[in-house]
Amino acid sequence: MKRLPPVAGEWIDRTREISFVFEGKSYRGHPGDSISSALLASGASMLGRSFKYHRPRSVLSMANHDINAMVQWAERPNVRADVTPLTDGMALTAVNTFGGLRADKASILGAFSRFLPVGFYYKSFYSKKLFPLWERMFRRLTGLGKVDFTAPHLCTAKCYGFCDVLVIGSGPSGLAAALAAADQGADVVVVDENARAGGSGGYARGADEVLAATHNDLLQRAESHSLVRIMTSTCAAGYYTDHWIPLVTADVMTKMRARSVIVASGAYEQPAVFRYNDLPGIMLASAAQRLIYRYAVSPMRRAVVLAANADGYRAALDLVAHGIEVAAVVDLRSVIGDGEAETAVIHQGIRIVLNACITEAVPASDGKGVAAAVVVPVTQPNEAIGLGREQIPCDGILMSVGWAPAGNLLYQAGTRMRYEKSLEQFVPDVLPAGVFACGRVNGVHSYAARLLDGQRAGSAAAAHAGFGIAMGVAVPNETECPTHSWPIIAHPKGKNFVDFDEDLQLKDFENAVQEGFDNIELMKRFSTVGMGPSQGKHSNMNALRILARLVGKEPQQVGTTTARPFFHPVPMSLLGGRGFTPERRTPLHSRHDALGAQWMPAGVWQRPEYYQVADKSRSDCIQGEVAAVRNGVGIIDVGTLGKLEVIGPQAAEFLERVYISRYANLKLGMTRYAVMCDETGVVIDDGVVGRLAEDHFYFTTTTSGAATIYRELSRLNTLWQLDCGIVNHTGAFAAVNLAGPRSREVLAGLTDADLSASAFPYLALREASVAGIPARLMRVGFVGEWGYEIHVPANQGAALWDALMQAGGGHGMRPFGVEAQRLLRLEKGHIIISQDTDGLTNPFDVGLDWALKMDKPFFVGQRSLRVIAQQPRKQKLVGFVLEPGYAGTVPLECHLVIHQGEMAGRVTSIAFSAAVGQTIGMAFVAPELAEVGNAISIRLSDGSQVPATVTRTPFFDPDNLKQKEAV
Amino acid sequence: MKIMICPVNGPRPVSEFFCWGEIRPMPDPDTCSDDEWADYVFNRNGAPGVKKEWWCHSASNTWFIVERDTEKDVVLRTYLYGEAA
Amino acid sequence: MPWRLLRFALSKKHPEPRMFSDHPQLKSSYDVVIIGGGGHGLAAAYYLARDHGITNVAVLEKGYIGGGNTGRNTSIIRSNYLTPEGVKFYDESVHLWQDLSEEFDLNLFYANRGHFTLAHTDSAMRTMRWRAEVNKHLGIDSEVVGPDFVKRAAPMIDLSCGGHAPIMGALYHAPGSVARHDAVAWGYGRGADMRGAEIHQQTEVLGIDVQGGKVRGVQTSRGYIATNKVLCAVAGFTPRILDMVGIQSPIYIHPLQAMVSEPLKPWLDPILVSGSLHIYVSQSARGELVMGASLDPYEVQSTRSTLDFVEGLSSHMLDMFPFLSNVKVMRQWAGMADMTPDFAPIMGKTPVEGFYLDGGWGTWGFKATPVCGKTMAHTVATDTPHPLITGFSLDRFRNFSLTGEKGAASVGH
Repeated sequence: MKRLPPVAGEWIDRTREISFVFEGKSYRGHPGDSISSALLASGASMLGRSFKYHRPRSVLSMANHDINAMVQWAERPNVRADVTPLTDGMALTAVNTFGGLRADKASILGAFSRFLPVGFYYKSFYSKKLFPLWERMFRRLTGLGKVDFTAPHLCTAKCYGFCDVLVIGSGPSGLAAALAAADQGADVVVVDENARAGGSGGYARGADEVLAATHNDLLQRAESHSLVRIMTSTCAAGYYTDHWIPLVTADVMTKMRARSVIVASGAYEQPAVFRYNDLPGIMLASAAQRLIYRYAVSPMRRAVVLAANADGYRAALDLVAHGIEVAAVVDLRSVIGDGEAETAVIHQGIRIVLNACITEAVPASDGKGVAAAVVVPVTQPNEAIGLGREQIPCDGILMSVGWAPAGNLLYQAGTRMRYEKSLEQFVPDVLPAGVFACGRVNGVHSYAARLLDGQRAGSAAAAHAGFGIAMGVAVPNETECPTHSWPIIAHPKGKNFVDFDEDLQLKDFENAVQEGFDNIELMKRFSTVGMGPSQGKHSNMNALRILARLVGKEPQQVGTTTARPFFHPVPMSLLGGRGFTPERRTPLHSRHDALGAQWMPAGVWQRPEYYQVADKSRSDCIQGEVAAVRNGVGIIDVGTLGKLEVIGPQAAEFLERVYISRYANLKLGMTRYAVMCDETGVVIDDGVVGRLAEDHFYFTTTTSGAATIYRELSRLNTLWQLDCGIVNHTGAFAAVNLAGPRSREVLAGLTDADLSASAFPYLALREASVAGIPARLMRVGFVGEWGYEIHVPANQGAALWDALMQAGGGHGMRPFGVEAQRLLRLEKGHIIISQDTDGLTNPFDVGLDWALKMDKPFFVGQRSLRVIAQQPRKQKLVGFVLEPGYAGTVPLECHLVIHQGEMAGRVTSIAFSAAVGQTIGMAFVAPELAEVGNAISIRLSDGSQVPATVTRTPFFDPDNLKQKEAV
Repeated sequence: MKIMICPVNGPRPVSEFFCWGEIRPMPDPDTCSDDEWADYVFNRNGAPGVKKEWWCHSASNTWFIVERDTEKDVVLRTYLYGEAA
Repeated sequence: MPWRLLRFALSKKHPEPRMFSDHPQLKSSYDVVIIGGGGHGLAAAYYLARDHGITNVAVLEKGYIGGGNTGRNTSIIRSNYLTPEGVKFYDESVHLWQDLSEEFDLNLFYANRGHFTLAHTDSAMRTMRWRAEVNKHLGIDSEVVGPDFVKRAAPMIDLSCGGHAPIMGALYHAPGSVARHDAVAWGYGRGADMRGAEIHQQTEVLGIDVQGGKVRGVQTSRGYIATNKVLCAVAGFTPRILDMVGIQSPIYIHPLQAMVSEPLKPWLDPILVSGSLHIYVSQSARGELVMGASLDPYEVQSTRSTLDFVEGLSSHMLDMFPFLSNVKVMRQWAGMADMTPDFAPIMGKTPVEGFYLDGGWGTWGFKATPVCGKTMAHTVATDTPHPLITGFSLDRFRNFSLTGEKGAASVGH
């Protein structure tokens, strides 16, 4: 093969040459070439090896389903050589060879093909002992391209597009549709996966200059229309609900929202099935035409054209017009059409063999090309009579026996298709609202009819989008059937391939049916037809025809498999985009950073786990923070808590209904612990409710629950229609907890509020100014010390922090993190929801009976708890201590409590408490073990058991003297 | 992406919304039997059909009712609770 | 080369008989009718015949066998659940799985790869430890391991996961495996067929005849059949069948989606699951990366795909494996998951006499295929729930005594 003299409209730029390497050998090509075209132009014939038998393969379609011509391009696996633009300096190898393309050692597998019929791997290799060995062998052989672990993480931004009418495919019908829609005023986008617009109008020529001129004019009008945008090298990769179409280029994905969608995606030319139909040099007629008109590459020197429609005759004319000898047109039919192409072929004296087929291609001496076509008469329909009557020498065979609609997006949109017998093709039967089809995918094949069909669809789509009214356009029926019903020739020696991705031969289908896989979905799954990278674009239709014939049904009755996204595979980088991972930070984030905070995630938030002190271990840092709180004063950022307000005459009633305790009687200026259950009685959240006014409450939720609790409370309030409103202040307030015996001294210097125990008692809520900042202060004691939770507007959080840090400096104040807080609260026996509870924990399980006001008229979960209250308890949360001075391995959270060899609970929290002088913890245990003083046993990961004793909580300051006023 | 129509904010991508599930009328907790209550708490109308569901437009915290065909995933009507019966 | 393959080369005709007989007519009555020709239904037919001698059985499948969730899942098999009920049940399943290929004379490609559930937070680490300890107590090979161990098994992984979700450790379950999902249905189908059960594809159940609280027959698209026992094993279609017999259940249907990459030379041996990143991934025998994520957020009773799903999953895949940027996603699909409030199945007898339920399989049904078949066959044959499934009865909701598998199942499948 070689480069042709310049061809009008060719895509290559002859003024520039670029060089590349394939399989270690240097080649040259032009900008505009695809990898395959440049290789063919440079004289290469074999481009790859097949998946299963490693047979030599080359161009089949030049239309993005040449799966046997996939290359590895540096870190890029599975690059489609047929359509990937050639770039300077590419270094390429064929995928899936063992020892290189030319001498692929795995080609030995072809010799064993008789041992390896369809599904052979189900029939053997399964001895329990040996399967792992076989699996290792299979895993060496399987797969195509290689993953390069050093490849960079590509973070690609995505685009969003909008249009009135999206036209998929820029062939004749698509362009006509776009013009019709735009003429009615719609904003139209046309996408086409090819580098240039025009579709088959650019290459399915039949050497017809008039057609070429007509088509160029159409293209030019579309390109210059002010309401038409044409996006080339852009694949509409799928159809999703509400006309949401990902448009994929080599480096970006645009998510297009259209008001209506026209699918003008054309049709896939289908291969004929005969022996050795996979040899390099045998290709679809449209592939040869693409090679000629796009890349000016001569597909062969002497061709035999296997035809069953006018397209094959046009292809023959295109070959001849470019100096390629056509030895014969072998026509499966008994009568040919009277169209211009057929007439011209006859006129040119090209030999036409009617009622004939090719039973096999004769391989060239090296097995890597074609030497001749074996032509045999057929009965109708298509039973070859005998074998090997006549050999017509040639170095290439074109297959032009019919089309299958590129209906993938139509199927994805929910189109019902029907098999149209006069066309031997599936066509849209019932289209979903706003989805239109035209051209070959709609069963309209002749050029003039495609233009009319495009006009019809374009006008209707524009009307659907609100522009103009739908013109009725009469589209004439096809004068001859473009597709043969049975382009399949049996051969006793096989190697007549149906699926080139998967190396499936005709007999594989016969065998599958024989084994009972006789409906299309089962056949697909058993044989793997259509499951390769081309997703059946060249194989599904023939598979369906074979199945239909074997089971004696019509294609309509057999039906098709489901076409799922994607149309062509899409790189993960384009799908993944930039990788947006939002993270929330409190207003004090930079202050913590400056203090050496070690961060930990808390839902979407980042919180300081502890503050790193130079030369101190994590544990020492945490114990230091704990000691500061117990002995002096500490400060922690609690700004991640959910912070809500409920305001209105029925605010108290609302809280009565959503929390298990009572709030109607909460005194002004006071707070109360609050636990929330779901409808099944499971504990889901806790916090503190404070009353600012008769009709005004401020309350907190857990950090992780904030968003969902606010949302659910809003729903309940919508449902109940109480006279109150809920406001979410979570991000609007900063909050810190100042805790420790010296907290009052620190705060006293910054506020005018009366901090005396009588004026501001335990659990009180006050509004006051702190360091000149308006603040809400709550005397709550999660960590069990005298302390203040201070909430201020978020924009003044940092100022508050700075003022407190400065004021606390003289008192030895230290910031403390989540870990210290966990230990401090554990010493007090306070639970953490979701750590000391799980998805089935009710208030009885965790000793919250005291908070539960079952005599209230109603609260969420109450009715379920009434049922649960009648049942025996299954578990109980208890405090425990390890033996004083225990020096062994300390159990971890979720280590099991073991009783008489059985599981009897689990540790939920555990830590060494310096204040108690022991390792303390909480655990769920079976009720019979829950009595204070009971010995329990905790099992470590290594199986050894650690004795512990059930203990009353709080562990520290059991009478809560430190957090309350001295009496 | 699917479009959901918020009665306040208009058509928006469905990713902006949260679906709570089908509206279930609560029986009177004081008079219903334990079985009736368990049925309300746990059981669902699991078969496909046109259902009335609670949805929330997360960005604006707008709760509303959606009448949706759960087999075809087609939204027939959306409205604020208490509006349009 | 195994001897078995020689037969193919030496015989002129393809030496394989039909796997499933063709039955042009339904009989007028059967001892047992199984609704659903997926793995579960076919397995039940198989064990009814093999273990209980009950062969006058019809399996009714409205599509084709294995075409529902059996053919749509990501084929992961493991037993490292959280509750003792779950662990014992799935462990029995794993034991059955290991012998199935030999039992069936059919290679299910049951490939032991090891299963990692990655933990990115300390609360996830706690859950992993809880599962590991429960598993070990019940004799399951399951251990909490550190990031180094994960790195050794999958050296290419980015342990920092893009910097925002560092891997702190993992629950490692050495027996974790994958299998060829379709073949499981075929194996059970062939086994049941050989023993006399009838498989009727393209046969839809239109109604169930219940009289006086007892099952009397089944109305199908191909006529009425009389029977006193019906087993419902239809996953995402369970609520529709339950409506036919008037049984209320907590089952709700959400889609579960999945996708595969183009075939790649194998590089990933273990099965990896991350709850935080909503990923599970393994590499199939064909070299494709088989990937899944969490459930869709709302009810849709069809198998439509969404773009958001592939976008989100790809983004998270690249956090863990940044070098996959150029790897292409080839295909996506969905199944309908029949979810329950506690993420445990609903199995056993029902208030309707003779109607047995095998449902609530959510996202965890494939791995349970063998044990479901075995225990449901026992339950149907003896009209007594098999001891392994008593924790999964429909009653548990009425009794507010849920099984609490959420912690294990929600993280991975």
